[in-house]
Order: sequence, then structure tokens, then C-alpha cells
Amino acid sequence: MVRTVVRRLLLLIPMVWLVATLAFVVVAAAPGTYADTVDHPGLSAEQRAELEARYGLDQPVHRQYLRWLGSLATGDLGVSFVTKEPVLRLLARTLPPTILLGGAALLLDFVVGILLAVAAARRPHGWFDRVSSFIGLGLAGLPSFWLAGLAILVFALVLGWFPASHMRSVAASGLSGPARLADLLHHLILPACCLGLVGAAGTARYLRATLLDVHGERYILAARARGLSDRRILWIHTLRPALLPVITLLGLSLPFLVSGSVVIETVFAWPGVGLTLLSAAHARDIPVVMAVTVLGAVAVLLGSLVADVLAAVVDPRTREESL
Amino acid sequence: MKKLVSVSVFLVLAAACGSEEPTYTTPASGGPPDRGGTVVVGIVSDVQSWNPYLVEDLESEHVLSLLYPSLAVEQTDYHRHPPSFAPSLATSWTWSEDHRVLTLELNPDARWSDGAPITSRDVVFTWRAQTSPEVGWLYGYVKDFIETVEAVDDHTVRATFSHVYPYQLMDLNDGPIIPAHAWSEIPFDAWGDTDWKAHALSGGPFSLSDHTPQQEIVLTRNPSYFRAPLPHLGRVVFRISPSADGLLTQLLAGEIDFLQSVPPDRLDRVASRDDLEMVIYDNRSYTHICWKTDSGPMADPAVRNALTTAIDRQKIIDVVYAGFGRIAVGPVLSPFWAFNRELRPLPFDPGAARAALEAAGWTDSDGDGFVDRNGQTLSIEILAPAENELRQDIALLVEGDLEQVGVRVEPRFVEWGTLMAILDAGEADAVVNMWEEPTQIDLEGLWHSPAPGEPTFNFGRYANPEVDELLREVAELTNFAEQKPLLDRIQALIVADQPYTFLVENTRITVHSALIDGAEINAATPFFNIDEWTVDDAAGR
Repeated sequence: MVRTVVRRLLLLIPMVWLVATLAFVVVAAAPGTYADTVDHPGLSAEQRAELEARYGLDQPVHRQYLRWLGSLATGDLGVSFVTKEPVLRLLARTLPPTILLGGAALLLDFVVGILLAVAAARRPHGWFDRVSSFIGLGLAGLPSFWLAGLAILVFALVLGWFPASHMRSVAASGLSGPARLADLLHHLILPACCLGLVGAAGTARYLRATLLDVHGERYILAARARGLSDRRILWIHTLRPALLPVITLLGLSLPFLVSGSVVIETVFAWPGVGLTLLSAAHARDIPVVMAVTVLGAVAVLLGSLVADVLAAVVDPRTREESL
Repeated sequence: MKKLVSVSVFLVLAAACGSEEPTYTTPASGGPPDRGGTVVVGIVSDVQSWNPYLVEDLESEHVLSLLYPSLAVEQTDYHRHPPSFAPSLATSWTWSEDHRVLTLELNPDARWSDGAPITSRDVVFTWRAQTSPEVGWLYGYVKDFIETVEAVDDHTVRATFSHVYPYQLMDLNDGPIIPAHAWSEIPFDAWGDTDWKAHALSGGPFSLSDHTPQQEIVLTRNPSYFRAPLPHLGRVVFRISPSADGLLTQLLAGEIDFLQSVPPDRLDRVASRDDLEMVIYDNRSYTHICWKTDSGPMADPAVRNALTTAIDRQKIIDVVYAGFGRIAVGPVLSPFWAFNRELRPLPFDPGAARAALEAAGWTDSDGDGFVDRNGQTLSIEILAPAENELRQDIALLVEGDLEQVGVRVEPRFVEWGTLMAILDAGEADAVVNMWEEPTQIDLEGLWHSPAPGEPTFNFGRYANPEVDELLREVAELTNFAEQKPLLDRIQALIVADQPYTFLVENTRITVHSALIDGAEINAATPFFNIDEWTVDDAAGR
């Protein structure tokens, strides 16, 4: 298996190159440059042209591509046009908030999703199953920006329970350690719930169907015939095999930990990768857009590999086909 | 945040003829102000750098203006003459007899936040940085006519200009003063790779205390600030949020206290709140429709005049801008000294517009409701940025008005970059656009006929040889009073040609907490007199 994993890791290199090249073509083909987005009444047409020359945007596309690829090969992701800071430093700064938000959301997603699915599968088509299905479908069908806006309206503006934005309170650096942590968690709850609960609705629907499938297997009937309790049958004999596809789902969700949610991070002004990507795309900040795209591609490929490895570890039957 | 029992909404509109100072003051409460308190300001983007010569956007300049001092402060008296200046770091200045040499006396008590004196060495170093190709300050061209800046002694500076022109002091004053003793050790060619946060010093009212990128900037009162008295505020915190709607929500939730610009279509969310105050003022910009003048039906000035006459501009103000703004007249904003006061907006008269089109040969010969000539229907595609709802609404209103006079209009909303590519190529029939005008009157960039292959903001490719000649003559004159008749003539020609339909002179709506007192806000900067702001810090920030 180790050899297979190494082979898959080596395959990442041409895949990342391909994705990066496609991303460069798309970004280069998009009309407009960073100079078009600069907001300053003193900027004349000549200064705009000068700005393009400064960032090499007046060069032929193939030259820009080769220069960028050469930098990428040496691990240099360039300097942001907007913030003037090295992109690597920018990513190092924006990744932790994204991982924190994404991690909290994934935790909510799977814990709440599994609990809901188990509760619903205990009495299929019972009142809880019907109500949770109705709410779950509703949540899963809502656009996240709308849900986030509603959450802010209710919980920040009307009830005042949670802050409407940002990762910490005004000038929170003056707070003590525990107070800062509490402040951070206070800011985390609303965006994490907006992301995690929508995911939980989907996970619950997915797992419920698998649980019901497993529930009809003969070995479950045999377990029942042996006189095992319903609780034991559900938590031990039904849930464990039913979790296999959920583990795959978890692996495929891992890229989300680093790519971030553009919508939620923007609505809540959460200083992560998603927010950075949106700002960079608006400003035609090519080095940042390209770096985040490559990061996302690597994360998707690694996530897929992790999902396969996890599936192989949990279920030996899948080893050959998944790896 | 504590709610005030009774604070009225404070609205100020500039007088139509610009006869009043376009700076407005919120009413100050009685009694001596307390020192201290925090004001939280919402901004949409982070500062690009802590070095003012490496930033390209206006928002960064506003924040940095609180740290780095200027020689003088531009006043808001631009409706009578080019703006005058009040002393700041320079306490006084004198001109040589031929008006080419300016000698400035600096405040001898001025200090940087590390205790070092602010001297003429800093002024000379600043000029070197501004004009250095290695630094590449984007607005370095404003120093083109300054030959030398020399230190006469520690607190006397002499600037020599290549020739006399009306904006000499404005050009010298452009760009804040930076600390030579701390920054001259870093070679200019290494400035781009330097982390300037570590080198940030202050000679202004506030110092940098903390900066969390994309989240928050904390400035604290600079105790060594040279102007007395020191600012009342203890802290100014900038909260960064990329979404204008998000910022408005934060204002309503009491998380921020000051928002420089609220779109008029969002005002209903603010108007009912008695703990917020609105300040409405000219923001020195105008919205217009730029017509393609070099080919097609709009190459005929008579058609362009007819189109303008057919557009109900007051309706645009009422519907799109909630009644805020006034009908624009021409290429110079009406509050400016250079505005030709003989000019009036073309009337809204659909009947006259239809008659003018008919006179130009455009009639509805096939009875389909749209005018045509030689078998070709008068059809115009009007572009607007997909990111700007206000301009899209304008395009839709214009569509309705022009169809009333038989002109077919197809509004198309395109992403900003795509729009700029179309405009650069000069391929747009029409575009709803906005220009923000600096107080230095320069009509050359928009109205001189474009040179082939050169970058231009003359998107409609307007060309009038008489305007070109007058622009050349204006550039040679040294006195704004001599320039005025020529500028008047240029405006009259442009208004007669209608390369733009001048729609609306815009206003800006700033909303702030009613706890803030004494804020003077103008189009140049929201922080014009921030040293005098006071806040009842009920939030205990």
C-alpha cells in the first residue's frame, strides 16, 4: 500500500501542473487587470499603463506564464499586487482562520449529522424522521449567503447574542488569554453553524439512507434473532458498516479545510483563504488567485488520496479497487 | 451601544450654486470634551503598505494621513478659486518675486513618535523618494515641475519650480512627509521588499498600535503630535470588511461607529435609527452616460443632444438616489470655481427630442415604434458594471425614457474587467459611468482627442479641434483668473457637443454614531478634523 501511496503522490506533480496551467489560462483570458481596479481620482490613463508595466501585465501571456511557472517551481509564489506582501506569508496568515472555521464546521457537520441520522433511522418514517427530513431538506436547499444573512439578522441584530462579523472583538489584543479564547469562540459560533449545519443536513440524509440499507441486511436479522438489544444492533452492528461512505465523504471534505468558504468568510469578514480569494479575484491580484487555486488543487488531490486510504484501512475489501 | 433618547438626523445638502463651504460640521454638544474614547471606523479594504509611497488606493491614503504629516492642509474653498492651504507642518511660506521659489518655515516643535525632530531633512528626503524611479510612486508625476527641494536650515525648506502655474503649492504639498532618520538607511530599491509595519513612525495625530491584516488596525493618540491641543480621541480602530452591506450591518449592530459611504438605496435601514446620524455632502463626482462619438448614430451631436433631452435626469435622482444629488451640467462640477455659471442642464423634453431626431433624419418609417434611417433602426447598447446596482438601475430608467422617443435600448451588465476592456477598445455604444474629480482642474485627460495607440480615459473617443486648442492654451497660462474664460469656453463647447449625457452630481452619505461629536466631513477626507472629534464612549471600548 505504501508504494501505491507514493505512486499517487508522484502523480500529484503533473496533475498540479495541469490544474495550475488551466487556472493561468483562465485568469489570463479574463479581461481587465489590477490597474483597472485601482480606485483613485488622481489615476490617469498613463498611470494605469505604468501600473500594468510595473506588475509585468504588459508582457505577452506566454512570458508571464513561464515566469510564474519558474517561480512556482522554486516555491516562490510571488508578491500580492494589493497588499504588497509575499503570497506565501499571506497564505500562512490566512490558512489558520480557514482551518479553524472549516474544522469547526466539519465537526458540527459530522457529529450533528450522525446523531440526526441515527435518531431518524431508529424509527423510519416516525415523527422525528419526518420533521428532521423536512428541516434537513430545507437547510440543504438554502443558499449559504441567505442563511448567513438570516442568522446575522436574528442572532446579531435582533437578539444580540453573537457578533455580526470578524474573528475577534475591537482591540481584543488587550484581553487575557482565556478571555481572548472565549472571544474567539463567540465569533466562531455563528459562521461555523451556518457552514456546519447545512453540511449536517446533507450528511444526515446520506447516512440515514445507508443505515436503513444496512438495517435490512441478513446479519442484522441474525443479530436480532440472537436476542441482541436494539441499541446494540444500531450503534455497533448497523452504524459501523454504514459509516464507511461517511468516511469517504469526510476525506473528500478535507480540501474544504484549506480552500475555505468564499461566501461565509465574506459575509462574516472572516480573514481566511476564501475571503482572500474573493478580494484577490475582484482586484485581479493574479499571484494570490493563482496561489489559492494551486493550493485548492493540491488539497483536492490529497483529500481524494486520504479518502481512499481511509476507506482501505476501514474496509480491506476496497483496497484493490480504491488504491 | 447606548441609545440616545433624542438625536435628530442631520442632513446637509450643498447649495446648488456652490455658494457655501462644502464642509459640514455635526453639532457639537456643550461643555468641555473628555479626552479618550474609541471610534471604530468601517473600511472595505486593508492598507496596502505602511509606507505611503507604496500605496495606490485612496482608502490606504486616508488611514496613512493620520500617521504622516503634511506640509499644509488643503481647504475646501475650491468654489471660489483653486483650493487654498492652511498651515500644518509648515507654519508659514513665502514666494519669491518671480513666483518660482517657495520658502517654507517648519514647526520647530514637531517630533516623530520616536522623539526625533521633524526637520527640513525629512522634507528633502520625502521629495527624493517621491521622484525616485526605484520607489516608483504612482503619483510622482505631480512633482514634474519641481526642480529642486533644498534644506536652508533645520526648519527652513526651499522649493524651486520650473515655471509658474496655478497649482504649485498643491503639487509640492501632495504626499505626506516621511522620516528620513529612520527610512533613509533602507535603499530605495529595497523599499518594495521591506516590511513597513516594523518601520512605521508617526508625526501625525495618531500612531500605529496594532494591525491584524484583513481584520483590524488600531491607532492610538500620538502624545508627541505637534499640533495643540492633542486629539481628544484615545483610539481610532479601523475594522476591515470587504462587503459594503456587511459594514452597514455592523454599523446597525453597534460594532462600528463610522461608515464613510452608505448607498442611498440602503438609507431606509439607517433613517429609523435615532442613535445614528447621517451627513450628506457633495462627493465631487458625477455620473454620466458616455456616448460613442467617433462612429455610428451618436457621432452626430444633434442625436446626442436629442438623447440627453429625452432622459429624465430628475427622475434618476429621485428613484435611484432617493432624491439626493442634483442634475449635472457639464465636465466641471458646479461647486468648483472653474464651473461655467452661464451653463444650464439641457431640459427634459421628450417632444423636442423626438423633433430633433426627426430633423437629424431619424423617423419611424415602418411604424414599429422605433425610429430608423436608411432602413437602420436607432438601437443603442448601454453598458453598466455588473457589480454596481445603481448604474444598472440608471440604464433601465434610460431604456424606458429613450424608448418613449423611439430609440431602442439594450442594457447589458458586464463584469468590471470585461467592461474596462470594451471601453479601452473604444467599442461601447454607451456606458453608464462615474468620474470622481480632483480639485485640480484638468480637462485634458478626458476631453482632448485621443492619440492613436495611447492609453486614454476618453472612452467615447470625443474629438473637437477647438477644444484641443483651448486645452493647449490653458496649459500655458500661469494664472487661474486668466484660465477661467478659456475653461468656460471649453465647457460650453463640450455641453453643446454632449459627448456625455451629464446625469447627476453625486452626494455621499456618511453615517456615524450619534455618540461622535464635532466631526467635520468633506469629500477630500473623512478625517479632516479628527483631532477635534469627541466621543461619548458608552460602549466602553
